[in-house]
Amino acid sequence: MAPSGRTSSRRDTVLLVACLTLGIVTRALPDTLKEPVAGALRTTVLAPLVALQRDAELSRRAWLDRNETLRAADSVALQASSLGPVRRENEQLRRLLGLGARLKWGFVPAEVLRGRGIAEEYTMILAAGARAGVQPFSPVVSPDGLLGMVKTVDPTLSIAILWSHPDFRVSAMTADESAFGIVAAHLDGEEGRNLLELRGVPTRSTLVPGTVLWSSGVGGNFPRGIPIGTVLGEAKDPAEVWARTYIVEPTVNPAEVDAVMVLRPERRDSSLANVWDSPNAVAGGVRRVVAAGDSLARLRAEDSTAAARRAAQAAQAAVTVPQRDTATTAPPRPRPAPAPVPRDTVPRDTVPPRPDSVRATRDTVAPPRDTVSPPRDSVRPPPDTGGAPPGTSLPHSSADHPDPVQRPLRR
Amino acid sequence: MKGWSALRTALAFVILVVLHYTLRPMLAWRAEPDFLLIATLLVAIRVRPGTAALLGFALGLIADSLTVHAFGAGALGLALVAFAASWLKAVFFADNAALNAFFFFVGKWAFNTIYLIVEHRFTGGELIEQIFVWSVLSAAVTAFVGLAILLILRPILRPSTS
Repeated sequence: MAPSGRTSSRRDTVLLVACLTLGIVTRALPDTLKEPVAGALRTTVLAPLVALQRDAELSRRAWLDRNETLRAADSVALQASSLGPVRRENEQLRRLLGLGARLKWGFVPAEVLRGRGIAEEYTMILAAGARAGVQPFSPVVSPDGLLGMVKTVDPTLSIAILWSHPDFRVSAMTADESAFGIVAAHLDGEEGRNLLELRGVPTRSTLVPGTVLWSSGVGGNFPRGIPIGTVLGEAKDPAEVWARTYIVEPTVNPAEVDAVMVLRPERRDSSLANVWDSPNAVAGGVRRVVAAGDSLARLRAEDSTAAARRAAQAAQAAVTVPQRDTATTAPPRPRPAPAPVPRDTVPRDTVPPRPDSVRATRDTVAPPRDTVSPPRDSVRPPPDTGGAPPGTSLPHSSADHPDPVQRPLRR
Repeated sequence: MKGWSALRTALAFVILVVLHYTLRPMLAWRAEPDFLLIATLLVAIRVRPGTAALLGFALGLIADSLTVHAFGAGALGLALVAFAASWLKAVFFADNAALNAFFFFVGKWAFNTIYLIVEHRFTGGELIEQIFVWSVLSAAVTAFVGLAILLILRPILRPSTS
């Protein structure tokens, strides 16, 4: 066994030396010779392994691409999911900017701090305090309307009670000021937690659902003209005899508010006209519409009166030419219709009033339809001129129109 | 090595070589396991040193064909490591997991060292960093993976009692 072992050992040594020599020679080969040998190995022995490696590389790349695609899809989904809140926040901030532009001065913008606890559903923490000018009892408003009132003020923070707080009260009124009352939280169980109620409305004042309530300014804490809510209906309370209570839907949902405006005391005492669609603006708009309608009606009435007057003057002129005695007995002769005389060229006092002849004229001489053609809806004279002779009592003089703007509209 | 045992060893060798060209590219770790070295060592401890050296040289040369700039370096290193492993096989016990892991670690580290020196791609501090940092890490990973493979292929590599 010993010679065999030595032979084997010698053979191993020879093989090792041969391998080392071949390795060194291979390493020392120039690249022009290395490449053909390596290429031959790659295309023969290594070909299936290279194919496996290529497939593995492609699989890995596909896996990475899939991960990348998934990441991109997740990113797009994440962006899409966050787009709604961002858009809503953007809308809120834009509206808040609009509110700030309308308020112009005397307010402190404040961000609402989230993460509120269950017990804090009646309050709101604002990221603005005494250093920013916030003071206790300052109204907290949003672009939609009244939100609450500052209760506690720290140097950098403040806590406001919301309209849902049991202690919250605000004096309210309707836009036409026909009803006043006190708005407070509707504390009727879980369902009514998000509602308000308008108390103390006189029995004679009936509010229809949809009536918008505004702060009336009575009491001094809240300025006049902040929207509070919309009447939903009357709350029937048998105990109330002399007053009514209405359920009100607030205009502002505190859960959807991320930023608010705190009105400073000096702004609280001034007018908030035109900041929101204030009741004064609404009432003013209604009055303007009604006035425009009245002006148009007056204009049409004047047109009809002037036409009747011109016709009467023409008829009177025709009657006074023949003898006066025959005026009452003579049958009316058809005459050609006189040309309409421009009003400004015939003074009123040139045609004296003749009651006897006027009656005859009125009875016998009717203005031809084709010559005097007032608008059909304006034929009826004004009520105060029904029995009076035309030209003697004009229904509207210039003094009847104190508004100088309407005078140029006359013909 | 008897016929059945040789067949099982050849099967394990083929599996490891295939893993080297499939699993390793998919892992793409910075310190990657060397399945070729594990395969070489597994066979080397079961054959004579000369045969092991020849196997290592052939396998190294095949692997070098993909890296022409280092053509021959892997053959040289793997032949030396395989010969040494076969010559030292009496020292190690196949059923001792810790010794096997250490065996893989030393083998991989020695191979990388020889390879890097022969390759002449790195010099100075970079070579030292490659030898003492990345080669060590790669050797550790190879030892860990080799140990796992030994446990997985135990039914195949178990020495036959007959």
